[in-house]
Amino acid sequence: MSDSVTAPPGEVVVRLRDIGKTFPGVVANHDVNIDVRRGTVHAVVGENGAGKSTLMKILYGVQKPDSGTIEIGGEQVNLSSPADAIAAGVGMVFQHFMLADNLTVLENVVLGAEKLHGIGDGARRRVLELAGTYGLEVDPDVLVEELGVGARQRVEILKVLYRGAKVIILDEPTAVLVPQEVDELFDNLRELKAEGLAVLFISHKLDEVLSVADEVTVVRRGTTVDTVPAGSVTSRQLAEMMVGSELPSPATETSTVTDVVVLDVQDLTLYAPGSERRLLDGIDLTIHRGEILGIAGVEGNGQAELVEAIMGMRPGVTGRVTLGGDDLTGRSTRERREAGIGYVPEDRHRHGLLLDAPLWENRVLGHQTRRPVVKGPLVDRAGARTDTQRIVEEYDVRTPGIDTLARALSGGNQQKLIVGREMSGDPVLLIAAHPTRGVDVGAQAAIWGHIKRARRDGLAVLLISADLDELIGLSDTISVLLRGRLVRSFDPEHVTPEDLGSAMTGAAEGDNR
Amino acid sequence: MSPRTTRVVLAVGAPVLALVMAFVITSLVLLAAGDSVADVWAQILSVPGHRAIVNIINAATVYYLSAIAVAIGFRMNLFNIGVDGQYRVASFAAAVVAGEGWLPGYLNTLLAVVAAVLVGAMWAGIAGLLRVTRGVSEVISTIMLNAIATALVAYLLRKVAVDDGGNNTATKQVPEGSRVPGIQIFDDVTVKVYGFVFLAALVGFVYWFVLSKTRFGFDLRATGRSETAAVASGISVKKMIVVSMLLSGGAAGLVGLPLLFGNDYSYGSTFQSGLGFAGIAIALLGRNHPIGIALGALLFAFLDEQSNSLQIVVGVSPDIVKITQGVIVLTVVIAYEVVRRYRVRLEQRQVAAALDEPATIEEAKA
Amino acid sequence: MRRLTKTAAVAGVVALVLAGAACSKKSDDSASTETGGENCVEKTDDMKVGMAFDVGGEGDQSFNDSAAKGMKQAACEFGFDFQTAEAQDGEAESAREGRLQELVDAGYNPVVAVGFAYSASVGKVAAENPDVSFAIVDDAVEGDNITNLLFAEEQGSFLVGAAAALKSETGNVGFVGGVETELIQKFEAGFIAGAKAVKSDIKVQTRYLTQPPDFSGFGDPAKGKTAAEGMFDAGADIVYHAAGGSGGGVFEAAKAADGWAIGVDSDQALTADDSVKDIILTSMVKNIDVAVHEFLKSVHDGAVKTGAQVYDLESNGVGYSTTGDHLKDVADQLEDYKKQIVDGTIEVPTKP
Repeated sequence: MSDSVTAPPGEVVVRLRDIGKTFPGVVANHDVNIDVRRGTVHAVVGENGAGKSTLMKILYGVQKPDSGTIEIGGEQVNLSSPADAIAAGVGMVFQHFMLADNLTVLENVVLGAEKLHGIGDGARRRVLELAGTYGLEVDPDVLVEELGVGARQRVEILKVLYRGAKVIILDEPTAVLVPQEVDELFDNLRELKAEGLAVLFISHKLDEVLSVADEVTVVRRGTTVDTVPAGSVTSRQLAEMMVGSELPSPATETSTVTDVVVLDVQDLTLYAPGSERRLLDGIDLTIHRGEILGIAGVEGNGQAELVEAIMGMRPGVTGRVTLGGDDLTGRSTRERREAGIGYVPEDRHRHGLLLDAPLWENRVLGHQTRRPVVKGPLVDRAGARTDTQRIVEEYDVRTPGIDTLARALSGGNQQKLIVGREMSGDPVLLIAAHPTRGVDVGAQAAIWGHIKRARRDGLAVLLISADLDELIGLSDTISVLLRGRLVRSFDPEHVTPEDLGSAMTGAAEGDNR
Repeated sequence: MSPRTTRVVLAVGAPVLALVMAFVITSLVLLAAGDSVADVWAQILSVPGHRAIVNIINAATVYYLSAIAVAIGFRMNLFNIGVDGQYRVASFAAAVVAGEGWLPGYLNTLLAVVAAVLVGAMWAGIAGLLRVTRGVSEVISTIMLNAIATALVAYLLRKVAVDDGGNNTATKQVPEGSRVPGIQIFDDVTVKVYGFVFLAALVGFVYWFVLSKTRFGFDLRATGRSETAAVASGISVKKMIVVSMLLSGGAAGLVGLPLLFGNDYSYGSTFQSGLGFAGIAIALLGRNHPIGIALGALLFAFLDEQSNSLQIVVGVSPDIVKITQGVIVLTVVIAYEVVRRYRVRLEQRQVAAALDEPATIEEAKA
Repeated sequence: MRRLTKTAAVAGVVALVLAGAACSKKSDDSASTETGGENCVEKTDDMKVGMAFDVGGEGDQSFNDSAAKGMKQAACEFGFDFQTAEAQDGEAESAREGRLQELVDAGYNPVVAVGFAYSASVGKVAAENPDVSFAIVDDAVEGDNITNLLFAEEQGSFLVGAAAALKSETGNVGFVGGVETELIQKFEAGFIAGAKAVKSDIKVQTRYLTQPPDFSGFGDPAKGKTAAEGMFDAGADIVYHAAGGSGGGVFEAAKAADGWAIGVDSDQALTADDSVKDIILTSMVKNIDVAVHEFLKSVHDGAVKTGAQVYDLESNGVGYSTTGDHLKDVADQLEDYKKQIVDGTIEVPTKP
């Protein structure tokens, strides 16, 4: 796939030497050395928390390094704000877009850079020219709110180019895209490098990295481990460089699906508050004992709503939810939890944890009515502590102790604590929304292991994920959620990420006709 | 230092830091005004006499109840600014009930206490209901309810006021038998510690027990820490908002009672006002902790009492102490935030340190 | 983060509320060395006088100032030391008691309490300190060592009411009371009676700024202004205020409406802000200074009169001021009313 494996052309435009940055307690950067050449895509890969983001923030002037030097275009620079970085020709596209929905593409691009080409025809000409040169197809007069994710990303890139960037940093650009959009993005990146720009591409999706990058720098524990030409490594080798050890994979196992229905959802419908729009539209689904049902979909198509509707967290839901023959319709979230639903929420910081409470108090959360953490109307401190200790040991939560605040743990360890907690009290159904999002590879493997083990033990699992590999690797069935409806089901044995991608964007509907 | 010691040092360090900052700022104000800094502090920080000690305990009792009422809301992330209005409405109601004397002796007192709690809870409950049904911020509604409380009490007071021949407008006096006797702790002064100091202690204990030991308290604190996580854990946040507003208001209802039954014996135009706002300051200062609040209440009462003779002895207006108290509130918020961030970083460092070792070992194995 | 913002905002508000009292007035050294006039006698007397002010303290250009003036005159005349202490808004009963006791403990005798807020505390502290003489302004408190300095405000108000009616061109006058207490009702009753005595069909508009226990009506010029503006708009041309510090707003409203205002307690044509002095028709003078001076003299002479001491028109405890000579044309009629009140022909009501 990679058509540019030839030796990287061009001179070095960005040179980082011995960059160091310390935050108290957080993984810092030290001895970071990177050379980025003109006309190349240079990928920076590493686990979450390895220090990629800090490094990019340093290069974009958001944070100042404690030591080391930055050279751009051969000159040593001192970047103390993003404005300095922009002036030096460095632009950044963040993972979360920073666009004003109610403005047009042109207005968004020009916003904040009015001095360059004014706001009238000059600006329009420049935008069209840039779009033409780099193959970034967008209509300058359409409102951003009408654009899809991929197009929004192109607008962000245009913004950066408009400000004269010669070096573009893309932070996890594919995380929000479906496979087809990823391909389009990569085509754009090839255009950019063909025009002599340098692209810094941050990712942890190694296959993508290998398909688009010319050189790959691996970051581990805050420092650069090695820089290799993309053509000379496999993704497995890269991954091992990232974690410094052997890799896990979510490989499927023999089916443990039984014919005992655990969760039965019928005609679940949810209207957007104060409107006729259906966020969920007549959802029917069934999960059996020992079955993992995966839900695929582009974010925002009703995944969060589906989970919250089943958990009883949303008012205004119609339809029936039964758990093991027990009708849960109209019951409170607490009653549903008591009936045996474990819940690993999508956003662990907002929904899963009390960040400023110690771990053992977090063990009580969601189990306020169940032993061993409570006794009658009182919280059983001793019981909760003992059981938290058990989770810490069984689920390998890396922490100095159970009195540590949840906030202090890394994402992976927070997630392991949540999974451990939700597996407590013998649940019959586990709802896991993006259970391994933003956790490191080690924690990811552990969480996959726990889910698979629980499935063997007869747990029914509703798995929501944006990671198609995870879905394919873990699920017994995959259903695709599109605009609030379950549109298709796949057998993970015989499905490719591309098939899923088509279904997720709605392209497959046309094919079927 | 062990983690536990560190935690204690940090917990104590923040308020101490705040106090020092407040004293420095007050000193600067004094300097700018050309008053003697040394004389003022010498007076304020002098050892209080017996009468002053009793007065401090009494004032602190009242402050304590007020701060506990505020703290109940704070623990839920509810900002009950309306303790001021709640305690005035409740004190008035209690004064009317007690003054009528429908029941004999202490039964009358008990009835008045119940009335005060119910009225205070009801007044705060309005704000709670508005919040859950209409989404009105409790900050706004309680401020409005304070104003309404002032007008309502003024209106009703004129209806029930008795003409005692003087210029003070007040409710009927509480009958002798229903008054709560004070405790004579010093023989050489006539002032006594309010009997209701025990009520305050009891309220503090119940507050501590319910919040830190019970399921309900856990739900309340969880909701305060993260409403979204609370919802996901199965807590009905709306119910918690109403219940905790009722509890906060009920506690607020008790605020005026030590005064009513221990000193004033009627609710009138000279009844102490502004206690609710002092309560907010003290709850912030005491970090919503029952012991912290007690210390904060004593500090505020101490400063008030010592300021009383400031003008007589040093010739500086006692207003300077109000400035100190105001500055303390601000410095406390800043100091706690600074310490909180420091503590988080410290913990992260500890976590990082704890993780490094086992991780390296595993790596070595692999 | 949101929580911190909220906390910080609330803390800021609380700090403002707490410091609010502090900002409202410039604190000044209580002038313990300053004396009233030039020809003061040497400090020979070992008498030390303590004075406890009501909220507002010295510098309120009204009530408290008047008491201070009487004390300073006496201090100058008889040569004694004095000390003052001021009340905080909304303070506890125990704070007032504490203040009086502090003065006693520091050796001050006699102790003068200014304002009825001290009624209960004077009664209590006086009973505990039988050797100390106490005086209380504006309220009747029983006790062997307590002198009550009371004023016939209704009589003075009657005369300014009569003056208002005589000078009014629209036949429409107004009364702005600070707080609707019995004390202020005496002003209202006298004013109405005086106005009606001159002109039985005169229209008298009445407004109180606040109701007890909200005492902000004595210190809120904005409220006073709004109330007076309403009266001028409704046709009044003269407005009398008994609203302490809120009176400043009444004066401003009168100035803006091209009408007259009547001051209270002291001769406000002398003490008010320069810009409004010319619209002050007269002031109902309540000579607290006379009463305080007389009380201190009696203590100095060793002939204290305890119990109620009523200062009325006859004893010159109340009256009206003539600064600006606006009342020249009606002076005879006013003197006539005064005579009738003094000799009992007219009995002025104390309740409206």
